[in-house]
Amino acid sequence: MKKLAAIILAAMMTATALTACGGSGGSDGASKDSGSKSGTINVNIWDSNQQKGIQEIADKWTETSGVKVKVEVVDWDNYWTLLEAGASGGTMPDVFWMHSNTAQMYMENDVLLKLNDYIEKDKIDMSKYYEGVKNLYTRSDGNIYALPKDHDTIALLYNKAVFDKYGVEYPTDKWTWEDMYEAAKKITEDSNGDIYGMAMNTSNNQDGWYNLIYSYGGQVITDDHKGTTIGSDESKAGMEMMRKLLTVGAPQSVVAETGTDSLFQSGKVGMITQGSWMINSFFTAENHADYAWALLPYADRNGNGTCEKEERWSAYNGLGWAASAATKDPDSCASLIEYFCSEEGQKLQAEKGVTMGGMTGVSDAFANAFEGMDIKPFLDAENYSLYFRPYTRKTTVWEDALQQAGAFLDPWQKPDDAALMAKACDNAQKIIEDAIAAE
Amino acid sequence: MKQKAPKAKRTKAQKREAIWALCFIAPTIIGLIILNFYPAIDTLWQSFCKTGDFGKGNIFIGFENYAKVFVAEETWHSLWNTIKYALIEVPFGVVIALVLAVFLNKKLKGTSVFRTIFFLPMVCAPAAVAMVWKWLYNQQFGLLNNIFGTDIAWISDPKIAWISIGIIGVWSVIGYNMVLFISGLQEIPGDYYEAAEIDGATGIRQFFHITVPLLSPTTFFIVQTRIIGALTIFDLMFMVMDKTNLALENTQSIVYLFYTYAFTNGNKGYGATIVVFLVIFIMIVTFILQRVEKKLVYHP
Repeated sequence: MKKLAAIILAAMMTATALTACGGSGGSDGASKDSGSKSGTINVNIWDSNQQKGIQEIADKWTETSGVKVKVEVVDWDNYWTLLEAGASGGTMPDVFWMHSNTAQMYMENDVLLKLNDYIEKDKIDMSKYYEGVKNLYTRSDGNIYALPKDHDTIALLYNKAVFDKYGVEYPTDKWTWEDMYEAAKKITEDSNGDIYGMAMNTSNNQDGWYNLIYSYGGQVITDDHKGTTIGSDESKAGMEMMRKLLTVGAPQSVVAETGTDSLFQSGKVGMITQGSWMINSFFTAENHADYAWALLPYADRNGNGTCEKEERWSAYNGLGWAASAATKDPDSCASLIEYFCSEEGQKLQAEKGVTMGGMTGVSDAFANAFEGMDIKPFLDAENYSLYFRPYTRKTTVWEDALQQAGAFLDPWQKPDDAALMAKACDNAQKIIEDAIAAE
Repeated sequence: MKQKAPKAKRTKAQKREAIWALCFIAPTIIGLIILNFYPAIDTLWQSFCKTGDFGKGNIFIGFENYAKVFVAEETWHSLWNTIKYALIEVPFGVVIALVLAVFLNKKLKGTSVFRTIFFLPMVCAPAAVAMVWKWLYNQQFGLLNNIFGTDIAWISDPKIAWISIGIIGVWSVIGYNMVLFISGLQEIPGDYYEAAEIDGATGIRQFFHITVPLLSPTTFFIVQTRIIGALTIFDLMFMVMDKTNLALENTQSIVYLFYTYAFTNGNKGYGATIVVFLVIFIMIVTFILQRVEKKLVYHP
């Protein structure tokens, strides 16, 4: 019996060690960061593409402040585990990025440094920042917990070599989603399915099918972040267009295994939609000379043949620079954040090709940062309509559910079945409403 | 019970010895308490709570999480997926490893080279192993389909994806099982085989009538630890299966489900309940195994 007890205990420990690993792994990492020698600010980000640029801007700040800055990259998944562990009682990095997925949770629990006093003292004009990004990091009581770091938009990426080979004309700013369908159809059919005209996965939401819903007049999350119209006729019209595109695009089984970016880069796909945060990865790709960007297509809802402002929509999202409420040196942290988000810092960020700015009117230099690749469509998207990336208090709960079976994964499997897509929209409406109700 | 009486009249030397003994095992005990016992108890507590953000504001809700977990179809589906995985990994992992161990236990040239090769998967990081297999299995560009000229969706076809995952599991665990078997084989005295040879027993007869019974304590140990290991499988599914993979529903293990709830969706309480559910299941399995141990294991 003693042996049995020992084995049961061992079994229990193996299973619970899973939880232990999550927790302890996180706090180990965090305590490493907390070794902040006085005079060094630890900065954590998740995008290694940006590390060099951010470090250079931070070094510029060090020249005047004398405080050293160390920028460390932690990949996206571990970033949030680490940050959460830090906020739950460990030590957070001093300065770090915030994202719309989690910002509300962090702001409500007072784990971020309140920036209002600094903004007032240094007379920072908050109206210069993008509205959606600014609002995201402002709590309902007016407390500001992060300054807008950047913004991103979505554009259409196409492979000129594929278009040339099948004699299809390149995308233009006059393209509707129907035009995209025709072009994709020609490529897929002329190549006998060897190359797909387009590819989009259910996980390409912000950079993909969300934009169709908005183009056709629907909303994934309403402006008050308390509801959705994803089951409305407008949204269904958008997703019906999506379904049509899928009938001439790469099948779901293909995109789930290989990923749309890899398919595109291996020349198997003619068009994908992508966000501006991915430019660098295509700019540095092997065949980048073949790649070109275009505005996202629009939906000619009134049928007059021209694109009105509210017929072309691109999602935009923006990160925020936030600091830990428990940092040893809040003044320096706030000063660093202010520099990152000052006109000077923002212009540097654009020039170095890190990202477009969180401030309006500082991003022109960004277009020239990628020699030989025209990325102006990302900036031009702002001449039409932008919607802020749909978020609620716990975004991932419904966002993940929408990508999986029971929601849009079903019609993605069988794009020929129009009724299935309409049903998925109804299911999605319920999933989002239930998730918001449970928040 | 026997130790209790002399406890009262311990000599000074004995006391000192006990204190020193405690000091020496203190690092391990403290480590166990902080890294294992405390999280275990905390997990149990959280399973009765609607957990708040950042570990603050947990509200006690009794068995509400349990009611949801037990009713949810996905819990049972994931448990079944996990069992299916174990049904591949444990038998094949044990049988193949046993056969290899018997061959590599012979005095042949290059055994140590082969032993090293078979043990290598154990040294590789599981995440790296999974990534490599993911690309081997890839339908468009994968090596498997290219070599065999097939067009099989190894990891996206719900009907076969669980087998593909199981194969990775078997491949990763063979080396470890094999080493344990070899050490077990070396404990078997050579006289038995000599005697059997004189009596005219063939190699196969020797294997089934000497090796298998005398190795059964080792086999039982491996089976038991591998069952527990297979029931807590997570990294394979996590690394190989994309979130939008149609076969995910039919392959996600119960720990994967726990990860989704606890870490992706931030619902720690519900996640903790899934873990406790798994612990209970493992306890039942272990209990049954202990019962059958006496019947299956040969005690000379």
